[in-house]
Amino acid sequence: MSLAILRAPPKRLLSVARAAALRPALAVQASRLVHTSGSAHSPEPIPTSSISPTEPITSLAIRGSNQHSLETPSNKAEYVLSTLDKIVNWGRQGSMWPMTFGLACCAVEMMHMAAARYDQDRLGVVFRASPRQSDIMIVAGTLTNKMAPALRKVYDQMPEPRWVISMGSCANGGGYYHYSYAVVRGCDRIVPVDIYVPGCPPTAEALLYGMLQLQRKMRRNRKSTLWSVFYHSPRPRYSMFRRYRK
Amino acid sequence: MVSLARYIRNIRRTGIKQWWHQMQYIGDAKAGTLVGADQFGNRYFENLSPEDEVPGRHRWVDFAQHYNNATQVPPEWHSWLQHIRHLPPTEDAVMKESSPPWKAPWVENLTGTRGAYRPYNTVVPKIIAWQPKVMVRG
Repeated sequence: MSLAILRAPPKRLLSVARAAALRPALAVQASRLVHTSGSAHSPEPIPTSSISPTEPITSLAIRGSNQHSLETPSNKAEYVLSTLDKIVNWGRQGSMWPMTFGLACCAVEMMHMAAARYDQDRLGVVFRASPRQSDIMIVAGTLTNKMAPALRKVYDQMPEPRWVISMGSCANGGGYYHYSYAVVRGCDRIVPVDIYVPGCPPTAEALLYGMLQLQRKMRRNRKSTLWSVFYHSPRPRYSMFRRYRK
Repeated sequence: MVSLARYIRNIRRTGIKQWWHQMQYIGDAKAGTLVGADQFGNRYFENLSPEDEVPGRHRWVDFAQHYNNATQVPPEWHSWLQHIRHLPPTEDAVMKESSPPWKAPWVENLTGTRGAYRPYNTVVPKIIAWQPKVMVRG
């Protein structure tokens, strides 16, 4: 990764990058050259199955992904930062507090997820009836045009980082009411959705599995690693202005 | 039944190391007979004693991976784990003899990874990404 630059920025590289940044057409390519992590694209195809006990299919399938770069830091600085990231991710996935946005029959299944059989609390999932103290919104049910502004308002009240789970056919894409004039054809027209749980309604088990998939998504967050790349990159941060200065 | 005596009894049966492992992954101290293991290294246990396990908790899986989920159980063992079949696939005569040759290897759900299923698409993309083009200046 480009974090190697943290230790000893070679002068030549800096000047090359700066000169490249002055030429706007080449700037993008040049900065890509500097920032090539080697794991951005995996040229070899991902194997479709594996029964190896040391290399399960999940470890093969994350080749070249953010998750992979988190798990294989390339130098000491990246090791520290990716460890910080992992701690943050661990904390986030261990206490997911969903804002319940129960709109229709899916909400009943959402309640079942909280009840004794599926017991979401064992994963640290606790329903929080306030958007200001929750980090996930489960949109459970048909989103009507009339409800859409309220949904967006609640979403805007949630603090970052926030995730949205779209639960059921109606929230995913309108579902049964797709052709109704009163229904939004999918809640992703109103809010950005992270996980789509299919079903009409999805079982509580399916929704809980969606929560597990969201945990997987949370696990690949590497904000502090990216932060260091952003602040220590040799690329001038305000190249837009610098271009016109001279 | 769940009791403190059972808990301590199971710790004594399985050992401290296994108990610690179970508390990290299963959340209970369980002791039973090892019925078998699948091709991924997941181990399957059973304890039919009513003093030890409540009915419904008498079959369980100890996953091989740290980040585990239910799709890591292959269908043969799933049918045993969920009482679709009485005998485990290592003993079940039908399972042993009638494995069809066209059966694909089992792959767990890879949603959210690079191995995720991408359906074949023939439709023109609705969103066309912006391609930065710079005019040549004179």
